[in-house]
Amino acid sequence: MKKFIVFAFKTLIVTVLIAVALDFIYTAVYLNSSNRGKIDYIYNSKARKYDVVILGSSRANNHFVAPMFEEKGLKTFNFGMSGSHLFEASLMLKLMVERKYVIKNLILETDLNLSNEHQAEGIAAKFLPYIHQSDIIKEHFSKEKNFKQLYYIPFYRYVAFDSKIGFREMFFNSIHKKTVHLDNQGYYPLGNKKGNMKNDIRALKPIPNKYYQEIKQICVANNINFIAIMTPMCTNTKGLDYFDKVKKLYPEVHNYENVVLEDRYFSSCGHMNDTGARLFTARIIKDFFNN
Amino acid sequence: MFFNSLSFAIFLPIVFVLYWFVFNKTKSTQNAVLIIASYYFYSCWDWRFLFLLIFSTFLDYYTGIRIEKAKTAMGRKLWFWFTITINLGFLGVFKYYNFFADSFSEFLNGLGLQTSPLLLNVILPVGISFYTFHGLSYVIDIYLKRIKAEYNFVDYSLFVSYFPLLVAGPIERATHLLPQVKVKRTFDFDKAKEGVYQFVWGLVKKVVIADTCATYANAIFDNYESMNSLSLLLGAFYFAFQIYGDFSGYSDMALGMSKLFGIDLLRNFNYPYFSRDIAEFWRRWHISLSSWFRDYLYIPLGGSSGGMGMKIRNTFIIFIVSGFWHGANWTFIAWGFINALYFLPLLLLKKNRSNMETVQLYWNFDSFKVFLSMVSTFLLTCLAWIFFRAKSIGEAFDYIGRIFTNQSFQSQYLENERYNYEIILLILGFVLVEWKSRTQVEPISGKYSSLKLALCIAAVVALGTYSDYKEFIYFQF
Repeated sequence: MKKFIVFAFKTLIVTVLIAVALDFIYTAVYLNSSNRGKIDYIYNSKARKYDVVILGSSRANNHFVAPMFEEKGLKTFNFGMSGSHLFEASLMLKLMVERKYVIKNLILETDLNLSNEHQAEGIAAKFLPYIHQSDIIKEHFSKEKNFKQLYYIPFYRYVAFDSKIGFREMFFNSIHKKTVHLDNQGYYPLGNKKGNMKNDIRALKPIPNKYYQEIKQICVANNINFIAIMTPMCTNTKGLDYFDKVKKLYPEVHNYENVVLEDRYFSSCGHMNDTGARLFTARIIKDFFNN
Repeated sequence: MFFNSLSFAIFLPIVFVLYWFVFNKTKSTQNAVLIIASYYFYSCWDWRFLFLLIFSTFLDYYTGIRIEKAKTAMGRKLWFWFTITINLGFLGVFKYYNFFADSFSEFLNGLGLQTSPLLLNVILPVGISFYTFHGLSYVIDIYLKRIKAEYNFVDYSLFVSYFPLLVAGPIERATHLLPQVKVKRTFDFDKAKEGVYQFVWGLVKKVVIADTCATYANAIFDNYESMNSLSLLLGAFYFAFQIYGDFSGYSDMALGMSKLFGIDLLRNFNYPYFSRDIAEFWRRWHISLSSWFRDYLYIPLGGSSGGMGMKIRNTFIIFIVSGFWHGANWTFIAWGFINALYFLPLLLLKKNRSNMETVQLYWNFDSFKVFLSMVSTFLLTCLAWIFFRAKSIGEAFDYIGRIFTNQSFQSQYLENERYNYEIILLILGFVLVEWKSRTQVEPISGKYSSLKLALCIAAVVALGTYSDYKEFIYFQF
């Protein structure tokens, strides 16, 4: 039995050493990557200057046509990410500020994502490679329920989110394989899709959202003009009064939900196609940047 | 509690310590620890089904004694059929009732009699097919006077509910397992080390091969209507490795961890994808089930002793029943039927026992023919797996039809955010490792075992799939 205990102990030590070594390698790879996604593009950058920065979910990513801002002479990047919540938007802004970005205007897509304060696991995972290097990321995740495992167990975060930051993603980072996420200054145009153009958001309720407040406070502290915008949904949506509720709770949020109406401008009920996005962006530029 | 879960990684060492350090004085205390651990393990799925397991155990224990003690042949028969009826009755209600009710209703509707079936909202108790078959083999063996009844309830309970084999086998025989639980186990370092190797290799098969293949196979099968010929072919290929890695990985983990407790379980897989014909495949795939059906169904039906007609009938019965054992769906029956069709030419040509030795390949033409026979056997099994994986027989035919009619062999981007070809290299690497170690139980032991163990651990940690897929396919059976 003594021999087996020694054998088991050695196996355990080898396992821990492997985990530590892999953690080191993966993290080193992620620290040298900046062309796979918007998070590493920010994390591994220094002091950029923007006239307009756009944050939010896919309803920001697919709706704000960043090149149209550029045509107006406004240096712009759309940092909206499909599936993300305000948890991630707030952390991205914190990282930009830490990297001494100079931002004149921040457009925050502020609508459906106001209804929760959860992290979007699939997106939030992409910050985790940097958790030991960045106090801001560490602090941002510190209240999450799995923080201790993610922070203290070597390689655990890469195992727990293997589909997002596991071997395949690490490998593509190591060979600097490009993705489409950074094309078009971050804007991702959608095409026309067939299918039922309907949605039901009656279950959603806007809440006093701490990450929204955080973003607002960061903007005030860093002299950034904060523009909160609700973006369009198709007319066949049950519970459209959600947007009125948001307006009631946050009067400063601009309601642009109904500026694009017809189904032909939508790819799905919650996402406009490229034509719809261009109509919408033209209206935003006209209303906010026409000086 | 899955074998590849964090909770099991805590559970197993606790049981190990209690078994060898605290309650190691007698065989009874050792067995008691394993039974309590097994019942706890089973209750982690659904504690309510624990009563079913205990009832099933008690039923077979009691009727086994009654069969042995019966003074008349009629009495023996009566107790025998009593327990068979109840065992199969439980299986029928929990596993097959809805299937039969639905199929009968459809049949009547087909005759123009409008009926709606009375379906029960029953959850299938995990492992019911496995522990029912344990009990059945036990009482059948007593009835046929192959073994004596077990009078120690604790020992018998352990035979039925031993946690490494409780939910997905291997399906043990009383003649093999009971003698082992009736003596005090002493610790054997070499056996325990072998057990660790086998467990780790099983983990590699499960989390690196099966679960990774699962994300690809699911992305293809679940969207097969939008997949091209290449993706559909790869989907069947991936599922073949998913189910092999999943089930043989589970079996390796079960056998490996059991060795830690000094108990050997029956081998369940013997490199089936290196088979040269379908008969050899079935001698190497899910061996404990195949041999169960051989001993308790095929041979009682007359086996190979009658004429060719009887042999063919018995072959179809055993394959179809084996398919139906897997689940209450026509797809499993079709899968069994297809395998019987594959088997038929070998039976007719009396070649069903021609590839008994381990396959060898050399650089000559004969080996090339052997290689081709392995590839063709594998392709036949892949074709049959489509029926096993599909939701309905119609879907399986549609899937196969699209392989031939689509005629597009472009790479496709799947909904799991991968391209359809991305894991082929990993699978090829796995096949090479298996080929090299096909005369051993697992590839880790032997020369450089420490290095190979470290590489396997690294593979499990770095290449495993954890966030997308966890379940074991055979738990549903």
